[in-house]
Amino acid sequence: MPDEIETLREEMEATSIENEEEAEAFRIKFLGRNQGAIPALFDQIEDLPPEERPEFGRRVNALKEQAQERLDTARARLEREQQAGAADIDLTLPGRRDFQGSTHPLTQTMEEILRILRGLGFTTYEGPEIETDWHNFTALNFPPDHPARDMQDTFFLDAASEDEEPPVLRTHTSPGQIRIMQENTPPIRVAVPGRVYRNEAISYKSFCLFHQVELLYVDEGVTMAQLKQVLYSLARALFGDDVTLRFRPSYFPFTEPSAEVDVWWEDDEGEDGGQWMEILGCGMVHPNVFDSVDVDPERYTGYAVGMGVERMAMLRHGIDDIRVFYENDVRFLEQF
Amino acid sequence: MDVSYNWLNRYVEHDWSPDALAEKLTMAGLEVESVAPLGRHLDGVVVGKIEAVREHPNADQLVLCDVALGDGAPVQIACGAPNVAAGQKAPVATVGTTLSLPDPDDPDARQELTVEARELRGEPSRGMICAEDELGLSDDHSGIMVLGDDATVGQPLADYLAAHDVTPDDAVFDIDLTPNRPDATSHLGVARDVAALAGTEVQRPAVETPAAGGTAADEIDVRLEDPDGCPRYVAMLVRDVDVRPSPLWLRRRLSAIGLQPRNHVVDVTNFVLHECGQPLHAFDRRAIADDTIVVRRTDGETDFVTLDDEERTLPDDTLLICDADGPVAVAGVMGGANSEVSANTTDVLIESAYFDPSSIRRTAKALDIQTDSSYRFERGVDRDGQVWAAARAAELIAELGDGTIVPGMVDAHPDPPSPRTVALRPDRVRQVLGMDVPTDDIRRLLTAIGFDIEADEGALRCTVPTWRPDVSIEEDLIEEVARLHGYDQIPEPERVPVPSRAPTQRPSAALERQVRGLLRGKGYREIYTNSMLPTERAERFNDRPAGSKSGPVVETKNPISEEMAALRPRLLPGVLDVMQHNRNHGQEALRFFEVGHVYRRAEGGDDTLVPGYDEHPALLVGLSGPHAPTGWDTDPREADIFDLKGTVEALLDDLRLPDLTMTPRGTDDASITTHRLDVAAGDTPLGTIARVHDDVAEDFDLDAPVFVAEFNWATLVGQASPQLKRSYAAVSRFPVVDRDLAVLVPASQPVGPLQATIRDAGAPLLRRVDVFDVYEGEGIGDDEKSVAFTLRFGADRTLTDEEVDEQMAAIVDALSRHHDATLRQ
Repeated sequence: MPDEIETLREEMEATSIENEEEAEAFRIKFLGRNQGAIPALFDQIEDLPPEERPEFGRRVNALKEQAQERLDTARARLEREQQAGAADIDLTLPGRRDFQGSTHPLTQTMEEILRILRGLGFTTYEGPEIETDWHNFTALNFPPDHPARDMQDTFFLDAASEDEEPPVLRTHTSPGQIRIMQENTPPIRVAVPGRVYRNEAISYKSFCLFHQVELLYVDEGVTMAQLKQVLYSLARALFGDDVTLRFRPSYFPFTEPSAEVDVWWEDDEGEDGGQWMEILGCGMVHPNVFDSVDVDPERYTGYAVGMGVERMAMLRHGIDDIRVFYENDVRFLEQF
Repeated sequence: MDVSYNWLNRYVEHDWSPDALAEKLTMAGLEVESVAPLGRHLDGVVVGKIEAVREHPNADQLVLCDVALGDGAPVQIACGAPNVAAGQKAPVATVGTTLSLPDPDDPDARQELTVEARELRGEPSRGMICAEDELGLSDDHSGIMVLGDDATVGQPLADYLAAHDVTPDDAVFDIDLTPNRPDATSHLGVARDVAALAGTEVQRPAVETPAAGGTAADEIDVRLEDPDGCPRYVAMLVRDVDVRPSPLWLRRRLSAIGLQPRNHVVDVTNFVLHECGQPLHAFDRRAIADDTIVVRRTDGETDFVTLDDEERTLPDDTLLICDADGPVAVAGVMGGANSEVSANTTDVLIESAYFDPSSIRRTAKALDIQTDSSYRFERGVDRDGQVWAAARAAELIAELGDGTIVPGMVDAHPDPPSPRTVALRPDRVRQVLGMDVPTDDIRRLLTAIGFDIEADEGALRCTVPTWRPDVSIEEDLIEEVARLHGYDQIPEPERVPVPSRAPTQRPSAALERQVRGLLRGKGYREIYTNSMLPTERAERFNDRPAGSKSGPVVETKNPISEEMAALRPRLLPGVLDVMQHNRNHGQEALRFFEVGHVYRRAEGGDDTLVPGYDEHPALLVGLSGPHAPTGWDTDPREADIFDLKGTVEALLDDLRLPDLTMTPRGTDDASITTHRLDVAAGDTPLGTIARVHDDVAEDFDLDAPVFVAEFNWATLVGQASPQLKRSYAAVSRFPVVDRDLAVLVPASQPVGPLQATIRDAGAPLLRRVDVFDVYEGEGIGDDEKSVAFTLRFGADRTLTDEEVDEQMAAIVDALSRHHDATLRQ
């Protein structure tokens, strides 16, 4: 006689459980309390001779456990499949999202500049935006009544007392040079980021305030060649290795010799296929500046650089109007 | 500053095209901003002779001319100019010639026209008799250009013009001159650099300079009452001058650089100024009372009419040129209307002086005028250029106006300066530049721009030319060497030294990055707003509760406009502007943050970095609109203060700020915010979280509630930086026990203190306590609410149920004693 238990086992193993309906049918067919095949086997025990009962009971129990395990395993598998996205979920529905945030493009450009400069060994320092006339001008070798003061249209504030020069909104980050050299002795290698102000008519190319990063390196044996090298490294890191640069003479009261760096900006619509864009001013620290902070200009030389962050960001992203940085339209901000 | 290519080429030889020259100049420190072509070649324009003029049968405004062009029979040309007459020689654009005509509607534009043989009112016309403006030679459209007798019929006009020193096409450089180059404020000055770059010599026009004294000195008395303000005053006289329009070559020179020709005397003074950089003034000698010139300062405010017919009030201490009666010119800035040269002038007094730069700058600033003269004087003109310029002008005025130079000159020069020398060490040049420049090259380059060099021990003794007042120290000479040798020659070293210390970073920088990253992740967008705003708005937002240290708002003395007259005392007005802008552009979720400085006047004490002013960085987070994006199964509600409070709590936790407290404060004194929470770390106030008062939000067109958190970033950094250093605490290996607790309290009982009480009473086993439900309504009393907490206990051992029960009992007891709380069953 075929073993009833073995037959049932084979039937059970052949029954497919590929969905919840099949799982429930399996449960009812094999394990159901009323008509299930396995509980029905238990009912047969009473009909067996007493010596066969223990062995039969043991085998039915094993079968029941096997059936339960098969059911549990299948259900667990079905649940996993459902969570992973079974065919009856619309996976094309969008996900649940939070609002998107962003940092400002000026922050991003500023951080990129500072990241490069940290790699080149520059520490960062920050100074105040309201500055004394002495830090902003006099100590930087802008003589009183000198046309050089016209180079930077200045906002003035009321003097705290009558015997003081009126403070100014700093016109550049260069007063940071003075504050650093007052507080430290060479070697000094710092970057000074910050907001500066110019009393100029507002247009697509100039705003009443903008941001600069100042560099200062003072040490023994600092040369203009080193200055050129560090600036070219910076420009290549920002604009790519194939950027075309120009290093040309200029004038700032606080550097001598002074220079400006231009990048060649390709513009297919332009007459010459592009134009030179000034990106920064720089030079070797003027001995009068060293004198004002008691650094010996015979022993030390140094270089200083000032670059405009807006200009850099405009070049990097192809922005043609400086005012959009300060409008903060979300449709602008979300692009960065 | 405008420089004409043709004019420049009168003084120096070189092989460069205008564009190539512009590049050379830029790379030598004279930055050429633009090169503008001027005029055009005149191929096809020839000299014609008007043989006969007769009436046009069909037009009153036109005449018909028979014009000989030298190659066969005269041609008939119709002409409408008022001055056309038989016997004249005039330029004729022959058939096929393309002209660039002025646009009558736009003075800056020109339009092309190709001359054709055609009929004008039924009469053939074969060519065009031209006015100066039609040839691009000047703006003159008063009639046809009448040529001199020396013009040959049929000769190309360009040849005739060349014989008269006029080139029809030119290029104008706009040079952005830096303040350290007064020597380059003229064509000769720029030519000096060109010569040095090209290896040629500058050719300064030969001029016969008179010796001091002579008849001129007998006729004119010059007294310098302020030799500091005016160390030198040269005067020359030209008499019997016929003041006329200038010849074409002179008008062309001036119009090329944007100057309007006036009469030949004024034009000559302008020409010489732009030729050599020395400003001159021409007086009508008959207007100079007693033939006396006195240079002195105003004594008190003085009213004076300058030659632009403006009545100006000259401040005290203004340097003046006076005659025996009173002022005739504001020294170095502008002449007076009372002594101006006019068509009736016959005797001209030429002033050529050196004025102290700062004196002229102060006057020009005070009067708010900049003239070609003041621009040069305030930078410092050639200290020894006065005599040459006066003599050059006298020659030209006499020659072009048939006048006579009165022999001699006045040269009031009480204290001639001795030449200045600066030592230059060739080794230092190489050290500073990091470039090998041979000593011979250094000598050659400096000599080329006028320095006299003498070798001394290890150094070159360089005598500075009188036109280089900017050169006073060794570094100035190093720059001259560098720019002439070429900045592009400076090498880029393969490797550079760096000080042997790792770059440090201020804690503020690291924390700023951290906060920016966190807020960005929480869906806020960073903004940069203007630090300047209207005073009225700054004051409205300057919340100054009694006893606070907040000072008055900061105003600038010279604002661009009323809209930007003050500096922001806090970041709030800026974000409201941004919210308004974006709301008006259809944006509903308004979630922004900003890190920026805020400013106030410091009240009392000089303890601020800049006396009288208090400035510190601030952090703002602002929120309005839906709390989450709209989704297919989310229905966003309006954000409330707990959304912002949650963000702030996460931010402050992320900074590990110790001993945080948040204390409700209600409405602030200025009614800017309501529902305010003061945030502090221990005793140190950090900032606030609040709802913007609806009236304020409404002023910015914001209809949804606006929430804002503002912090003093400097204080936050001060509190957070010690937390940047972390020490490790071993993680407990023992299980924790979680219990829930629900209590009934009076409905008015705030939840915060309950949490604080639980923390106190739960020590030392309580690890954390969170609120998971606040309920009012069915099932509990009307004046009651139910608050449910989940508590977690732990220790460095396995806790027993008894221990936890004991701690729970203590908590319930404390809640009941302090807050009238009963356990909810």
